[in-house]
Amino acid sequence: MVPPQYYLLLSAALFCIGLFGILTRRNALLFLMSVELMLNAANINLVAFSNVWGNVTGQTFGLFMMALAAAEVAIGIGIILVLYRNFDDVDVTKATTMRW
Amino acid sequence: MFDLALQAEPAATWTALAPAILLGLTGLVLLGIDTIRTDEASNALLASVSAGGSLLAFGTAAWFLVAGTGQERTGGAITLYGDALVVDGMSLFFTLIFTIVTAMVVVASYDYLRDHEHRAVFYSLVLFAATGMTLLSMANSLATVFVSLELASLPSYALVAFLKNDKGSVEAGLKYFLIGAVSSAVFAFGISLVYAVTGSLVLGDVAAAVNAPEMAGVLGIGVLMMIGGFAFKTASVPFHFWAPEAYEGAPAPISAFLSSASKAAGFAVAFRVFVEAFPLGALPAGVDWVIAFQVLAVVTMTLGNFAAATQEKVKRMLAYSSIGHAGYALIGLAALTAGGPNGDVLGASMAHLLVYGFMNTGAFLFIALVEHWGVGRTFEDYNGLASTAPIAAVAMTVFMFSLAGLPPFGGFLSKYALFYSAIEAGFWWLAAVGAINSALSLFYYSRVVKAMWIESPSGDFEIQSRPVGLYAAVIFAGLGTLLLLPAFGPVIETAQTVAATLF
Repeated sequence: MVPPQYYLLLSAALFCIGLFGILTRRNALLFLMSVELMLNAANINLVAFSNVWGNVTGQTFGLFMMALAAAEVAIGIGIILVLYRNFDDVDVTKATTMRW
Repeated sequence: MFDLALQAEPAATWTALAPAILLGLTGLVLLGIDTIRTDEASNALLASVSAGGSLLAFGTAAWFLVAGTGQERTGGAITLYGDALVVDGMSLFFTLIFTIVTAMVVVASYDYLRDHEHRAVFYSLVLFAATGMTLLSMANSLATVFVSLELASLPSYALVAFLKNDKGSVEAGLKYFLIGAVSSAVFAFGISLVYAVTGSLVLGDVAAAVNAPEMAGVLGIGVLMMIGGFAFKTASVPFHFWAPEAYEGAPAPISAFLSSASKAAGFAVAFRVFVEAFPLGALPAGVDWVIAFQVLAVVTMTLGNFAAATQEKVKRMLAYSSIGHAGYALIGLAALTAGGPNGDVLGASMAHLLVYGFMNTGAFLFIALVEHWGVGRTFEDYNGLASTAPIAAVAMTVFMFSLAGLPPFGGFLSKYALFYSAIEAGFWWLAAVGAINSALSLFYYSRVVKAMWIESPSGDFEIQSRPVGLYAAVIFAGLGTLLLLPAFGPVIETAQTVAATLF
């Protein structure tokens, strides 16, 4: 059996890739994809440790998380659509009518 | 936990969820009405159904709280669905805050939405978000915490971006959504790490397993990431920077909803998760979350108040003041000690959130009223408002002085109880920082009052109409803020009693 620490390393690496994407990408769609990577990093942990602990709690919650991620993307795409209509771009740094 | 979920619960038990069920059903009924009646006249119907549903939920929660449902004198907390949800005094107390804020917001939205399309969607999204918040205060497992957090957040994103042809609203929605998505991903990763270490998601089982974990470092990172998720929901440092944008760009009733109800929901779940799942005194070194909250409380208070003092727009000033108030409420978690007067500290924070629910909702709804009249957004634009709209100006003055914590208003007693309980717990420096910040906050709150009452009007403006819904909501919030002064005794007593049962 693979030692549990390896799963943690894999998921941490995936999480960091997602975080890097969020910090560097300006396209709202790529930003969303990076968030998905971070959520899937959490899913890896849940499924792997479901196996380690021998209960199905983690796996079941993993399914919940996938459904929630899909719902979040549905809202996100809607917001990005109105963003495009108002600002003619999906660049997240273009929408600056208010100062930060 | 999930294998138990399908078992039938006794009839008497699931009825404890009545407030949440009522809110959710009202949201569905609103969508039903929209499909049947598509004529213009339906705005009044939609608003009254939403207000009726939320007041009914408020009444049910108040009845449960008085009757003792889920409290010690009737056999303790009611847990449902394999411990996934719990109905106790604390969840009922928070439900009161969510439902009364929802009622005020939907009544005010009646006037706000008069010239808009898709009104039923607006009202039902508000009610679905309120359902999520109510469930959030009842969540007893990290799985239900996450699901109800999303149920409260997703409608909020859509509501902030509701004015889809208004650049400010869309920009606010985008920023709120992006930061919300990142923070919920961070929160989810934190949950997965806690599960990795403890092997359970139910708060009680997590607490049993955190004594001597094999991977204390991983647990520490997981707890820190979960704090990040709560910081987003409560608009605290370090995930606070969405708040000024979202509150400024969103429709004003939604700003009121987010800054009062949504913030209280974040605190409800943070209180339960940290107190129940990571009990003080049983934690391994490196997982001491109280220190994290002490730092966050001080930084959030100071940053919110100093930033508010430099603002030129009233709505943005209120947004930063709402960050400052998140800092005060964080004292509820920051001043906990193993064996200390924890019920008093947490209860004082809950009572402050209730008073804050009235005064802050009222202040944002006053902004909605002013926007309705087409008056500008800066302090100067408010000059002389008292001569044209004296009743609303009196209400706004009450909100401002109450938010600042001046004696004859509800905000004074709740802040006093909060700082007093912090001193009682031995954290005099937290109380001192809070008191200094309150003194500073008087400066920018009184700027609004000064502009309204003392300055002479800069330009001529005619008030075209006296919107009934907005006036009713503002006056109701003002009365609530005033009445919470004599009624504060029972409120703080209830809050501290129900908070004490958590420990």
